[in-house]
Amino acid sequence: MLEINALRKSFGGKPALRGLSFSVGKGEIHGLLGHNGAGKSTTLGIILGMVMADSGEVTIDGIPVSTQRSQALRKVGAIFEAPAFYDYLSGWENLRILMGYSGGFDADAAQKTVDEVGLTQRIHSKVRTYSHGMRQRLALAQALLPEPELLLLDEPTDGLDPEGIKWFRDFILNLRDSRGMTVLFNSHLLAEVELMCDRVTILRQGELVFEGAIDGLREETDRFAADLDCWEKAMPVILSNGGKITAPGIIQIPQGSDPSILLAALVQAGIKLRSFSPVRRSLEDVYMELLEGKKM
Amino acid sequence: MLFLQQLRGELQKLFARPRTWIGYGAFLIMEALILFVYKLERSQQHMRGIIERNGLEFGSYYSSLTITFTIMLLSMFLLGSIYFALVAGDIVAKENEDGNLRMVFSRPISRLRLLLVKYTAVSLYTFSFVFFVGITGYLMAIAAVGWQGGLFVMEPKMKVFAAYPEWWEGAWRLALSAAGIGLSMITLSSIAFMFSCLKIKPAAATIITLTILFVDMILQNFPFFKPYESFFITWRMGNWIFLMEQNIPWPKLIESYALLGGLNITLFVIGWTSFQLRDFKT
Repeated sequence: MLEINALRKSFGGKPALRGLSFSVGKGEIHGLLGHNGAGKSTTLGIILGMVMADSGEVTIDGIPVSTQRSQALRKVGAIFEAPAFYDYLSGWENLRILMGYSGGFDADAAQKTVDEVGLTQRIHSKVRTYSHGMRQRLALAQALLPEPELLLLDEPTDGLDPEGIKWFRDFILNLRDSRGMTVLFNSHLLAEVELMCDRVTILRQGELVFEGAIDGLREETDRFAADLDCWEKAMPVILSNGGKITAPGIIQIPQGSDPSILLAALVQAGIKLRSFSPVRRSLEDVYMELLEGKKM
Repeated sequence: MLFLQQLRGELQKLFARPRTWIGYGAFLIMEALILFVYKLERSQQHMRGIIERNGLEFGSYYSSLTITFTIMLLSMFLLGSIYFALVAGDIVAKENEDGNLRMVFSRPISRLRLLLVKYTAVSLYTFSFVFFVGITGYLMAIAAVGWQGGLFVMEPKMKVFAAYPEWWEGAWRLALSAAGIGLSMITLSSIAFMFSCLKIKPAAATIITLTILFVDMILQNFPFFKPYESFFITWRMGNWIFLMEQNIPWPKLIESYALLGGLNITLFVIGWTSFQLRDFKT
């Protein structure tokens, strides 16, 4: 659905993106992660044609943004952090104006979307009277109105209360499940990314440091959580197989070695094993390791 | 059709902003003040002197049409220019400053089309504002001196003098001159619009535009520049007054408006080029 190919962009000679490439498949919720200044917003800007890439190409459903922007964006909706509406107009008037830029306003479709995002009661009030959560709901409505196939979310849950965040998350997951919508989700909230995304792209100083499935990223192969009957008896077996105990109940084996060898040795030594499973790190652990330049 | 829908949205935004209405309010107050002054005995004596010195009957030409003409002559360039520059200077730069453009840029509209919609809205605002001033000024003048009477025109700088004893003829010339002023003022709005497209604050776009206008006007009035007056924008803009002459000098007017039209297009293209090449961060 979305292909980012060898994007390069500099601002005032300072590189913001250094040959970034990744892709987002149809129906996928894809997280875009990185510290401030890593190039996430620049990437979104280039996808929307707001920022011109120095080189490289973005295609949406096979249509290049740089040469056919209007056609490429026809099936795209976007939500930004702190969406700036025309505060002096009502939510409804904002939708009417914004849809005018997308090929026309359909009142029935707009009403249906407004109902869907739960803004029916306040849609005719001035936007300046809206809370942050209501603004985000309006942002969602304007993004959904062109019936997009690709939704770009730039820090959409920033500033929302936990209830609002959960509502937003469930809504997006439902969009993917019911409409097969593709979502590119840029957020600092790693827990949200972990809960929502199928795959992630992690950027560091304009470069890609990881692209892949979240499950694969979190799974570690050299540390195992073990539950056994006698640790004193197990210790010499673990050490003789090159392993060590790094934390209570955690065994680390040499990288690349086969855990089944250690398992067999423990069983042979008469140790009763109740469980033995790979340690799954949180996305935050992995993210911090990657950004600090540690192992992949 | 879609362009009209987008234009409607742009006009809706324009007229929903309180600052757009400041100009209307200011002109209504100014018109009321001018009419108050015209009701004073001393002021009427002064007008009587001017009209009768030109061999005309005061009673026939001290009229709502003459007062409306005077209001437009005195106020449009000085007071009107402030509001035209304010609105046109805001139209792009303010939306960029407020972050509204981000929302617009997530839509499949080209930057050229977006600017065309905004420029059309600003031009319509400018043109219609002049008629608003003319119509409200005339209605107020009717309330003060009645609707009857002819039109007396005197503009010494451009050497235009005319008298139209018939009401319909005076009214027609006044409407024609309002159209001329409207077209002239679009150039002022075009300057502000161009600056609004650049990477500057909306207030800066307004101030730079007014500075250009006033510097042009001041220099144009220097005796040294008299032979070169046709090179000044404000002189060309002031050519609407020739629409008041008994025999309208159409070649002179067409030349001026063609030059102003060309300048408007040039200013739009400069603004668009800058806007097109800019990066807008999310």
